[in-house]
Amino acid sequence: MKQKRKLQLILGEMFNKPFFAAFLFIFPAMVAVAQDDSGPNYGDILQGFSDPSRWLTYSGDYSGKRHSPLTQINTENVASLSPVWTFQTGTTTRGRGFETTPLVDDGVLYVTGSNNYAWAIDARTGRRFWQYRRNLPEDLTYGASAPVNRGFGMLGNSLFMVTLDAHLLAFDRRNGDILWDVELADYRVGYAATGAPLVIDGMVITGVSGGEYATRGFIDAYDPVTGERLWRFNTIPGPGEPGSETWPNDPEILARGGGGTWMNGSYDPELNLIYWGVGNPNPDYYGDSRPGDNLYSNSLVALDADTGELQWHYQFTPHDLNDWDSNHMPVLADIEWQGQQRRVVMVGNRNGFFYVLDRVSGEFLLGKPFTGTTWAREIGADGRPIVLNDGSKGCVPDPWGSTNFMPPSFYPELGLFYLTARETCATFVPEEPSLVPGQASFGGVIFIDPEQGSGALRALDVQTGELRWEFTYPSPTFGGVLTTAAGLVFAGDHEGNFMAFDAVSGENLWHYQTGSRIWGAGAMTHLLDGRQYVLIPSGTTLTAFALPER
Amino acid sequence: MSQETKHHRGLFGQASAILVYTALCHLATAIFPQAVLAQQTNPLASDPRAAAAGGVIFRAQCATCHGADAKGISSIDAPDLTLMWTQPGMSENRVFSRIQGGVPGSIMPSHDFPDTEIWMLVSYLRSVAVSGATEEFRGNAENGAGLFADFCADCHRVGREGGSLGPNLGRITLRRTQAALRSSVRDPNSTVGRGYKPISLTTVGGDTVLGVIKSEDAFSIQILDSDQRLRAFLKSELISLDRAIASLMPAFIERQLSETQLDDILNYLHQQQ
Repeated sequence: MKQKRKLQLILGEMFNKPFFAAFLFIFPAMVAVAQDDSGPNYGDILQGFSDPSRWLTYSGDYSGKRHSPLTQINTENVASLSPVWTFQTGTTTRGRGFETTPLVDDGVLYVTGSNNYAWAIDARTGRRFWQYRRNLPEDLTYGASAPVNRGFGMLGNSLFMVTLDAHLLAFDRRNGDILWDVELADYRVGYAATGAPLVIDGMVITGVSGGEYATRGFIDAYDPVTGERLWRFNTIPGPGEPGSETWPNDPEILARGGGGTWMNGSYDPELNLIYWGVGNPNPDYYGDSRPGDNLYSNSLVALDADTGELQWHYQFTPHDLNDWDSNHMPVLADIEWQGQQRRVVMVGNRNGFFYVLDRVSGEFLLGKPFTGTTWAREIGADGRPIVLNDGSKGCVPDPWGSTNFMPPSFYPELGLFYLTARETCATFVPEEPSLVPGQASFGGVIFIDPEQGSGALRALDVQTGELRWEFTYPSPTFGGVLTTAAGLVFAGDHEGNFMAFDAVSGENLWHYQTGSRIWGAGAMTHLLDGRQYVLIPSGTTLTAFALPER
Repeated sequence: MSQETKHHRGLFGQASAILVYTALCHLATAIFPQAVLAQQTNPLASDPRAAAAGGVIFRAQCATCHGADAKGISSIDAPDLTLMWTQPGMSENRVFSRIQGGVPGSIMPSHDFPDTEIWMLVSYLRSVAVSGATEEFRGNAENGAGLFADFCADCHRVGREGGSLGPNLGRITLRRTQAALRSSVRDPNSTVGRGYKPISLTTVGGDTVLGVIKSEDAFSIQILDSDQRLRAFLKSELISLDRAIASLMPAFIERQLSETQLDDILNYLHQQQ
């Protein structure tokens, strides 16, 4: 059965049509072509950036560094970077953004958009091959308030996308047809899904949104061919399970404890561990009904990729009262740490601290603030924050956080971690919410001081967490970051500028006004016909930039 | 900020608000079995408890985008709901429809709340509306017209007359109380809205330009200068940007503009809606 399904995948609908089947036997040459065009396999994704004509997974490789080896565009010539084409999506999410990272293979871009649109686009011209739009139910819950998507996963000729009604879809990348469609969870009680699926060997991994509703988060693995669920890790433990001691002894509270997993994870193939951030407990701001640390909310979890079993966890914000989800891209790197080579994972967290952890054991190595306003004085040697102000006493980072899910970037040769920092000032007033399935339960209100808000691109020394340089923006910003081995940092801001900086000095070298805030997305880059392209989504457009042709 | 907070907490505690809310749900269901949707007016309008109950719903369901005080969050385009009642054609029925059906093409979703709860929200939004419309205006509007032309019209527009450097004052008495308007005239620096923040720019050529900031990004700034001309500057062409200057609106002390004269102007403005 499995074999047959695979063949169906390869041949698509043709398999069921005798005429085309006969054609394939008569013309073996065509079969050869079909085999050549079987699309990237797991080994290709594992190779990451080694083929720069490809970008096969959300961050370009499994490590989450978003650091491309391409050097055609460099600090000397970036000033002449120019738009080559713009793609208009025709769909928008007011108040949020075009948050996707396009994938590219064989000259074709695969792009997801707001409201569960998706496209295959000619990377050379920006012309569209096909468009997909999901017929979404009218009674969406979470998906209605944030109708965004952050990208496809890809394997062979299949693409994988999650939906606002909390399904996982597999597409035929050649025509946008749906190969299978499985429900992750019931959207009507408050689930949705927005992240880019992570494809590893024989598995599609995805998380789910929902922490603002009385739901329970999870991370799932599915068979890429059949859509069969292989394992599920629940981010909030069940009664009696490890971690349940950090919650009230009440199965009902655990069953709706929150812990969304809506941002992508990264993967270490050698350790066979998946690293994934977990969101806030529910209710967001009201903690009296959930005394304790509330594991594994606001944590990074490391899961065995084969089984989904928890190997270790680190909780950034115990007993969160501020909606500081830890849904960030975990950045994996092998660095020298105090004289020793160490495999680390780095996170710029919504709570305003930059963290370095040992990714084999989860050991806490460093936690330093990267914004002016913080809620904790420091992170103690035991890895726990020494909290000064839980938000009720005024002026802590707002619920959108000191940074958020917009991807950061790590430049290994420079040892610098680049992230978008948000300087904000919020006061939290908790109120006990009523919990109604399908309705958000924030558990209080926030007051944000509109006069105190700004943003910055910041370069942090990962050895110390110290600020190396910054470039400030007029308002709190949601744009992500890309670095390239040519010494460049690409970043976007809330005013719509797409910019290039000298990675060492922080000097701004180029900018282009895209016309809409750059929100949630980091740039990607690839090589096509010997020409390096850099792409950024913004508002309702995707724009490709390159150096002028000589 | 904290005062507002205390106000919300103190006026009706959580428990009592929930009680009121529950009671009202029952009350409304009993009185208006099914016909609430067809109502053209708020069936709960005469019940002062409806606004309090609506406030509880608002803070649970709406405050994340519209702010705990319903004044909106500009960074996510969520509008200030305390000002919406002054929009032409705005009615309670229309607010009801917007809550129920959402705003197409925007992040504002539809809501399948029971009609009674939506009317409670409407009552709450009515209660926080910023408006001086119900106040009594004492001044002489005819005198006010002349005074407005002399003192205000260079920068402020009413109807077809006046300048554009300051806010358009048509319908202003619906949006702000007389006390707030009085305070803006006597001490313009007390509150300066978005789009009117003053700035002094010095160009590399040595010119100084005064104006109000319309827009700004990391590389450029767009202003309306004091000659009421739209101008834009690259920050790289500027020597300095001084934001710590007083509002471009002069402060009118009583010697220049008496309380009676100010009353006249306010009534004139009120007559201009």
